[in-house]
Amino acid sequence: MHLASRTYDIDDFWAVQELFHANGWTDGLPIVPPTQEAVSACLEWAMADPAQLVGIEPVRGVAITAEKLAINAVMAGCLPMHFPVVLTTFAAMLRPDFLLHGATASTGGCAVLIVVNGPIRLELGAAGAFNALGNSDRATAVIGRAIRLCLINLMDVRPGAIDRSTLGHPGKFSYCVAEDEEDTTWLSLAEQRGIPKEASAVTVMAAGAPRQIMNEWTTRPEEILETFAAEMRANLRHYSIHPGNYALIIPKQLREHLQAAKWSKTDIANFIHERARIHRREWAEVGKGAVVRDRGDSVYPAMESPDQLLVVAAGGPAGGFGAVIPPWLGNKSHAVTVPIGACIDCEPPKK
Amino acid sequence: MTFRVLDPTPEKAPPVGQLAPRLATLQGKTIGFISNGKEGTKGFFAHLDRMLREEHGVAKVVSRTKSNYSAPVDAHIAAEIRNWDAVISGIGD
Repeated sequence: MHLASRTYDIDDFWAVQELFHANGWTDGLPIVPPTQEAVSACLEWAMADPAQLVGIEPVRGVAITAEKLAINAVMAGCLPMHFPVVLTTFAAMLRPDFLLHGATASTGGCAVLIVVNGPIRLELGAAGAFNALGNSDRATAVIGRAIRLCLINLMDVRPGAIDRSTLGHPGKFSYCVAEDEEDTTWLSLAEQRGIPKEASAVTVMAAGAPRQIMNEWTTRPEEILETFAAEMRANLRHYSIHPGNYALIIPKQLREHLQAAKWSKTDIANFIHERARIHRREWAEVGKGAVVRDRGDSVYPAMESPDQLLVVAAGGPAGGFGAVIPPWLGNKSHAVTVPIGACIDCEPPKK
Repeated sequence: MTFRVLDPTPEKAPPVGQLAPRLATLQGKTIGFISNGKEGTKGFFAHLDRMLREEHGVAKVVSRTKSNYSAPVDAHIAAEIRNWDAVISGIGD
């Protein structure tokens, strides 16, 4: 396989680390040396030609090729089997609705939340149970990290360069979760968004840090979901009033109460849509009285419609916890779901 | 052990736009403002508007605001640029 990238002959492993750090090619952590063999293996696994144009970043016109994505995936620790998810995730981020430049350059400091659905989770060992939003498993850790390294190296999304984040959050190292599809009666997130159950898919969302909630003192769906809605109202009050995609991460303990009461994801979304809204005058209670102006009675829902809520079954088996993941800035960026491996010409590339 | 490693960056610089010819004078010119619409742009552009007219003899200032401050300029605003002698684009952070 012919790779077009410039090469560097480096004496040893540690010198590789210093070269990459000195050039600003890392996220601050050590990287796996991207050798021709490792990068070619990723491309072969995904049946991607090195020169395959995955897309063109729309603001600065940077061509995103499969070869460059594979180099960064190897650096992040990806095995070849992880690479199709990286490839698809970046393609999803290039969809106009995602607004890639804004979402990665903004002072708001969001990260790209990746939700993996479908059979590929099991092939990769991507776990959606214990520590689902943290260091749950190898696959989600390296896939999430690969996306950050791709942004850094392909689009110059470096702190102080294109990335103008005031704070950022830890999800900017890696922010990938696999849905726990085996331990729920609900449709998966991808199915809710129109992907057949047999297909694997990724959903990307420009996302703030998770806001954890706790309610282990009830089994009633309305009370459980009121806690999630209250956290969303807090986000509307303290952060941004703009409506958009929110994600709810619902672990098993709370999920089982909802499922026992026959609440589907759609039922949850409908309830949350009604409850997660505030009056503009509430901003005066949190120090933002200056922007209430004469619109205090206006009502601001967290979402424009219930289908903007991304409900994800994930988390360890015990604990009455859950998480609300807020949007970067309302509808400026929309969540995008793309199936993995759906192609119109699946012939392997010529050697 | 020697490693031959690959460069993770694009290597080819993305295409860059060309600067329009500089104006010899602002006297009698039409200047367009493209604001990203953030709070901080209001005072900045109001002051600049006054400066250009009163101190530099600018004939006309056209102010436009993007519909999404995180996205490229709206097509209808971009289409107006040809009618202006110069453009000042500003962000309010």
